[in-house]
This record gives sequence, structure tokens and C-alpha cells, in this order.
Amino acid sequence: MAKKYVGQRMTRTEDPRLLTGQALFVDDVDLPDMLHAAFLRSDYAHARLRSIDVSAARSRPGVVAVYTAEDMGDAWRPGPPLVSPPPTVEDIVFHSRTQVPLVKDKVRLAGEPLAVVIAESRYIAEDALEDILVDLEPLGAVVDLEKALEPDAPLVHDDLDSNLAAHLIQEKGDYAVAREKADLVIRRRILIDRGTAAAMENRGIVAHWDEKNQQLTLWDTTQAPIPIRNGLAGMFGLSTHQVRVIAPFVGGGFGPKIMMFYPEEVVLTWATLKLGRPIKWIEDRRENFFATNQERGQVHDAELALTRDGRILGLRDDFIHDTGAYDPYGLTVPLNTQCHALGPYEIPNYYGELKVVFTNRPIVSPLRGAGRSQGVFVIERLLDLAAKELGIDPVEIRKRNLLSPDVFPYDNKIIDQAFVPLVYDSGNYRPVLEKAAAMIDYDRFLNEEQPRLRTEGRHVGIGIVSFIETTGIGPYEGARVTVETSGRINVATGVGTQGQGHFTSFAQIAADQLGVSPRDVHLVTGDTSQFHWGTGTFASRGAVVAGNAIHAAATTVRDKVLKLASKVLETPEEELELDDGQVRVADIPQRSISLGELAVRANPLRGAVEPGTEPGLEATAYFGPKYGATASGAHAMIIEVDPETMMVEIKRYVLVEDCGTVINPLIVEGQLHGGVALGIGNSYYEQLMYDENGQLLNASFADYLVPTASEVPRVEIAHLETPSPLNPLGSKGVGEGGCIPVPALFAQALEDALADYDIEILEAPMSPNKLFELLQGKEKEQ
Amino acid sequence: MKVEGEYVFNGPREEVWELVRDPEVLATALPGTQSLNQVSENEYQGKMHVRVGPVAGVFSGRVVVSDEVQPESYTLTVEGRGSPGFAKGTGQVQLTDQGDGTTLMKYEGEVQIGGKVASVGQRLLDTASKSMIRQGLEALNKALQARVAQSEGQEEVEYNLPSEAKFAAAVAKDMAGEMLSSSRMIWMAVAVIIVIVIVAVIWMSRGGG
Repeated sequence: MAKKYVGQRMTRTEDPRLLTGQALFVDDVDLPDMLHAAFLRSDYAHARLRSIDVSAARSRPGVVAVYTAEDMGDAWRPGPPLVSPPPTVEDIVFHSRTQVPLVKDKVRLAGEPLAVVIAESRYIAEDALEDILVDLEPLGAVVDLEKALEPDAPLVHDDLDSNLAAHLIQEKGDYAVAREKADLVIRRRILIDRGTAAAMENRGIVAHWDEKNQQLTLWDTTQAPIPIRNGLAGMFGLSTHQVRVIAPFVGGGFGPKIMMFYPEEVVLTWATLKLGRPIKWIEDRRENFFATNQERGQVHDAELALTRDGRILGLRDDFIHDTGAYDPYGLTVPLNTQCHALGPYEIPNYYGELKVVFTNRPIVSPLRGAGRSQGVFVIERLLDLAAKELGIDPVEIRKRNLLSPDVFPYDNKIIDQAFVPLVYDSGNYRPVLEKAAAMIDYDRFLNEEQPRLRTEGRHVGIGIVSFIETTGIGPYEGARVTVETSGRINVATGVGTQGQGHFTSFAQIAADQLGVSPRDVHLVTGDTSQFHWGTGTFASRGAVVAGNAIHAAATTVRDKVLKLASKVLETPEEELELDDGQVRVADIPQRSISLGELAVRANPLRGAVEPGTEPGLEATAYFGPKYGATASGAHAMIIEVDPETMMVEIKRYVLVEDCGTVINPLIVEGQLHGGVALGIGNSYYEQLMYDENGQLLNASFADYLVPTASEVPRVEIAHLETPSPLNPLGSKGVGEGGCIPVPALFAQALEDALADYDIEILEAPMSPNKLFELLQGKEKEQ
Repeated sequence: MKVEGEYVFNGPREEVWELVRDPEVLATALPGTQSLNQVSENEYQGKMHVRVGPVAGVFSGRVVVSDEVQPESYTLTVEGRGSPGFAKGTGQVQLTDQGDGTTLMKYEGEVQIGGKVASVGQRLLDTASKSMIRQGLEALNKALQARVAQSEGQEEVEYNLPSEAKFAAAVAKDMAGEMLSSSRMIWMAVAVIIVIVIVAVIWMSRGGG
């Protein structure tokens, strides 16, 4: 089948609605008789709850109910784990401790909800929070990752012997032997700290139990409407058919909205079942800094063993990963870190010891990049330092170690986040790196431009890094494709959409199979009443897994269309073609029938059909890959640093990506732009600062610096395509690739720009302050 | 957060001692104090309206005086909480007779601050607390001079305590001053001062919060 629309730079069909304010977001849901909820959250990061008195709040006019953990009775249960620990690794330690709807005995993170007020308005609810008297006994907080494991550290979970949440070792080859043989061993301590997703839309929920209909409806900013529906039905003893979860347009997911269950989802559902009135809760920005999951905190002790000519013999990467107060998301993030430290390189020997610790900080779950950028930071930093030590050019040392295109599928012999062996399905890494170097004019910059600018006293530097991104993992997604009697195509899928352009790229896939314009394809996503099998939008998998399910369903519908048309037009199927909403006889274009007419005929109102006939032109199909598709890329940039203010200006930013078959280059580029912006934040601006008591010190956009238009440069993008053999479309994910390598790239460029200071960047994010301190330290040394 | 500093009172040490142990004087010297009651020999309880940048609200708490060496030194333990967050700290206060009729007060302590006031007001916290302490001490000094004058049978010195709005405006001025001295971007600081002044004016015109 010819690809007419897949691969086209189509503008997004959803944008007119979004840009004119006509798209439905959770906060737009306004129901008659609706109540509003506000949560009382702990100011302390770690404290014992001695008592809580809500009587004054209950008697405030306009307050309908105030609930604490005690009021929830048997409905109070710690949340189920979202993903389970890996069963395939021996000697694994994993302690599952999941979040609670409302604090019952002990506060484990600042911002954990203690009580909920439900009132006629949010104003009243917020005022009533101040009427609640809480007696909390503050406890010593666990904040520092290494101190968390010291014997005298306070315990986040009293029933455990320590704050160790998980421990596992992954090995490939024999690192100790490799190290013996090495000419050079580079060992460093590398720190990576936390950031927040800072989605434009905070979380929000409207929960409505309709007593007469016996129907629960939940509008939720979740990335996983179907699992939320299934979970809530189970939790509250309802049939899944009584529960409808709608994730309408969502203003950015970025991972934290895949979490289930956030306390608010459980509490609001429980409360509407009790009160029989709709209840709305919209997270405010300050709440978001405390109540929405975060990511990135790790401390690495890593070493790279190499030969004299820069070939990697082995990598050892022992690290501590901060999971926050609970670990509902298992080991997804640190396993991604382990996998991505191996990167696009041939690393024959690997040893990685992982310790996951509980701390009194918000829960860690994947945030765009999801552990990958930490792994990339580690290997790229070590490679840069090795290159410097060995006198090899940074691009050259990478080329010497990139996997060659004939090794695929390449088994890296450790397990990945989906607990299956880490196998790279396909790839061709060298052209990607070379293309990036060519686009940024690497040699000319180093040989001509940089020396010239340096003589002018300017601090300009270049960076270039390679990386892979594991994407498109299972288990599965599904789709239902229907030809409507209007001739339009309806596609329903379960993944949920948060701005990825699904309405357009999914339509392009269906349109190619059914010979219609993508603008005649109507997509429904994120509504469990429309399609109710699936898992959600995460791990850069929408286009791969849901995209291929749509492709499969559309292909089946195409077969049905041709079969019926063959009968109607009395022509063999092979002689028919689909185009422009019509089925035509190839040689006699005037002999044709429209898809709409066929849809009418496929659903007769009277008469007899052949036994076994299914009505309509409709099909449902599922797609689940054997394992994930591995995308790759290379980023390069030129920066200038002002060594007085430490401000950085990005002069050029170039990236080359290979995400297999590109469905829509415009959308892929949009994803990459956004990813790079987050990456820049993670490199130099966005860091959540906690004090030793677990208090977040920068919980506002005045103090937590999200890059703005002036920090994000124009990004020059090129695409190379190595189609994945694991799915019919050949696609790989690209949702996270933009942000993953940026901190490593930024560090390399900073070091190069400040070469005369001879600094080492071993921390992400950096900041003007930290850079200043590094330079000060160097000046003192000299 | 570390709190430390010193201040010279224009009066004898015994008078200063009396003053700093008098809840009524303390309550009026620190604007925003809604109540301050002595509940036992060494314990005070009270409520105070606090504003740090965008965060405002009532703290209720207690102050315990211990290790008292009259009239030289004492230890203060402060604990407060409210909608803006919580504060908990211990500090040492020392009074030295300087021999010239003045008294040097030295104070140092460590305060743990949490909640909204820490997470949103962090970068204003240091200046705001210094400014509040300075202004509080200045008000106390005025009260002291009024007392001294009275006890010496002189004409009563005018003693006007600052209103909460004036107090807040002074805090804002201190913050702006700090930004000016530490920043090379003067134009930005000027803009910030203008905004702060406007906010202060609006706030004052609303009747002093």
C-alpha cells in the first residue's frame, strides 16, 4: 500500500480547537450542583500525626463535608503498585510501599494530604482548611541519598530495617577482568538532582457518581484512563461498565500524570460515591510542586575502563536512586538508567549495582526521559573525560565505540524496564553522529572559528553527544476503526492524549489504508466508553504501539471494504482501488462506490445476509511488540559563556534523530523542540532545592526556573530512518529523545567553552551559581 | 536559617532587661503581633500576623525563656505554626553593659522554617527576618528611651510604634536595598522597587492588612 499521508508534514488537525480555546480540559467541566475540594497538606516532610480536629471546619457555612483517613474506614488502603519488581533478576531486594489516600499515622513527604474539605466553592474549601487543627510531631527527615542508608538515619517506613527500597546487581561479561586489562580507568562521582515536569496544565479531577444511573464518571488529567477505570471499579466494587474515565485534552503529561493512583483520584471518587454530587479538584501550581511526582535524583560512582586507543573495555556504574517516600512505580526509572548508560556503544563488560532509597520527598516516577538522561549523562561524561585524558577528539572516541550496523538485533544481556532482555532491534548510529557533526560544521568550528573567537577573549565551546532511546514497549494497545455512513472514518483508541498530535498522526495512518483524507478521520482517545482496552501514554510508545494497532484495524477494515465493494461492483478485489473516499475499478474509474454507501450496505435493515456476516465496516485490532524499538540520535551545540555572569548563550543547536519511519516530521520536530527545552532546563536552570528537613525552597516559577523563549534556541533538525523490524509501520518512539542527551551535551560544551579553566562538570543540573563556584575553586588552585 | 546580629540600646542594662521580658512592650514593638500573653514565669503564648513576600497569615506559637542569667543573658526557644507554615528555633541573647549608659545586645540562633513561607518566600526570608528584627529592636529602643525619660522625671518622649503597613513598607525597602547592592542590573532593581512601592501603597490604602 502506497504511503500517501504517512511521512507528510501535515499541520495538526487539533490545533484550531486548541488555539481558539474550544478544546475541553478538565477544568472546563462544569456540572450542575458541583462541589469543590481542597486538600490540607502537611508542611512537614516527616512527622507523626498525633491528632486532627476537623469540627470547626465542618461547621463553617458552605462546607459540605470534611474527611480524614479515619472517615474513609475500609476504603482507606495504600495504593496498589503500578508496576511490579523484575522477576528475572536473582537476589533482588524490593520493598513495595505505596502511597495512601490520606495520612493515617505518619507524614512521609511535605505536601502529603491530611484531610479534604468539600464545599460549595473552592474559596470556602480553602478557608475551611485553616479551621482544621492538626497536631503533628516533627521527625528527623531523610533527604540526602547517601545519608539515607546510614545506620542512624530516621526511617521513612518504620516497619523496614533501613531506607533501602530495592537492591539489585546487573552484570554482563566480567568487568573486573576488563578493568585489569585496561590502559585507562576513569572513575568519577556524578550527581544528578531532581526537577519537576512543570506541565502547563496542573492535575485536575471531576468525579461524579450518578445515583439514579448507577454510573461513575471521572474526568481526569491522567495519561492512563483505562487502568484508572479498571482500578477504581475494583476499589469501589463497581463493574467496569459502571465506570467511565475521560481524559480529555490534557495540557502536558510528561510522565507524572501516568501515576496511579494519586490520592486525589481515590479520595474524590470515594467522596462522590458518598455524597452523590459531582466534585471538582484542580491542583494549583504550588500544590503541583508538592503533590505531583518528580524525578531525576541519583548519585553515581561510575568508572569506565578503556584501551589506549579509546576503545571501551567495560563500564561499572554503581548508583543510589531516590524513589521518594513511596515506590509505586517499581524500578522503571533506575533500570532505564542502567540500560542507557550502555548507550549506542559496544560495551562488552558491565557491572551495575543499584540501591534504591526511600526519602522524605515526593514520589519519583518517570518524567520525560525517565532515568535515561541520567544514564546518558554518566557514559557521555566518562567518555569525554577519557577522550581528554587520551588526547582523542570527542567525536572520534564515540565513533570508535559505536555499535556497527551489522550487529542488530543486539542483545545487551541485561534486563530493561519491561523486565525483558535489553535488545536493540535495529540502528545505524555512525551516520547519525556524522550528520550532526557535519551540520554544526564541527571541524571548521574547532579549527577556525573557536581559535579566532578565543583570541578575541570570548569563551565559546562546542558539544556533541550520541545516545539511544528505548521506546515503544508493550504490553499492547488497541484500536477500533469504523467507516461511518457519512463516509468519514472513526478511530477509537485508549491511550489518551496530552498534546502529542495524536489526532493528526493517527489519522494519517488510518487514511493511508482507507483512501481518505486524514481530515476525514475522526479520532477518539482517552474515553473508556469509546475504547476500553489498553494501558496508556508513556515510554514514547503512542505512535509505535497504538499507531500500529490503528494500522492493523484499518487494514482489516480495508479488507472488508474491498470484499463488499467487489460484490457490489462485480469486480475482483485485485482490480479495485481506494482513493478519495471511493472504491473504484482501477481501469474504469466511473464504476465506483463511496465508502459511505458501502457502510450503509454493510448494515442492512431488512433481508438476509450470509451466516457469519459481521455488520458494518468496522474492525478492532491490537498490537503488542515482542520488545521495545530502540531509537537513536546525536545532538550538537555551540555555546558562549560569560565568565563574569556565568550566563550561557546557545549559539547553535543541531540534532539528528532516527526514530524509524517518521509518520509526520512536523510533529516529530515539535516533540524534539519541547524535549530540548526540558533538557536545557535540566542542564542549567531547573533544580528543586530541598533543605535538610525536606522543605522545598523554590516552589514557584519565580524561583524554579523553567527555560523561556530567550533560553531555548532555534533547533536545526535532520531525520534519518532505520525502520524498526518489530512493527509493520517501522516506527520508533521519539517523545523523550529531545531531552535525554541535553545535560551531557551542555556539560561537554561548558567544559570546552571554559577550557582555560580546566573544569570538570560532574553534576546536573548545573547553574550559573555552581559554575561560578567551580571557577572560583579553580582560581584558588592556581 | 541562621539569625545573628547585635544592637545598641540607649539605656542601662537593667532597663533593657525589664523591657525585653515585658510581653506588653514586646507585643507592641513587633507589629503584627495580635496577642502575647505570659502563661507562666518563663513562657509566653501569642499570635502574630506575618508577611513574607507573597505569603501572609497568622502564626500562633509560644516562646520559652530559659537559662536566664539576670540581667545578662537568656535562651529563647520559639515555636510557631499557622497557615503560612511553621518556624522553630532556639537563640541566645546576651546583654552587655557598655559602661556609657548604653547596652549592647548580641543575639544568635538557628531557626527551622517550613511550609509556604519557606517554599515560596525563600529568597525574601533572610532580608525580611533581618528587617523585622531590626525594626522590632528600634521600636524597643524607642520604648526604652520613653521609659528612661519617664523614670528620670523628664518630659515624656514621643513614642509612636510603627503600624503594620509602615513596617511592611520598611521591609520592602530593605529588600529592594539588598537587591540594589548585590545586583549589577540596576534597572531591574529599580523596576522591582517601583513594583514594591506600588504594592506597599495599595496595601496601606487597604487599611494596613
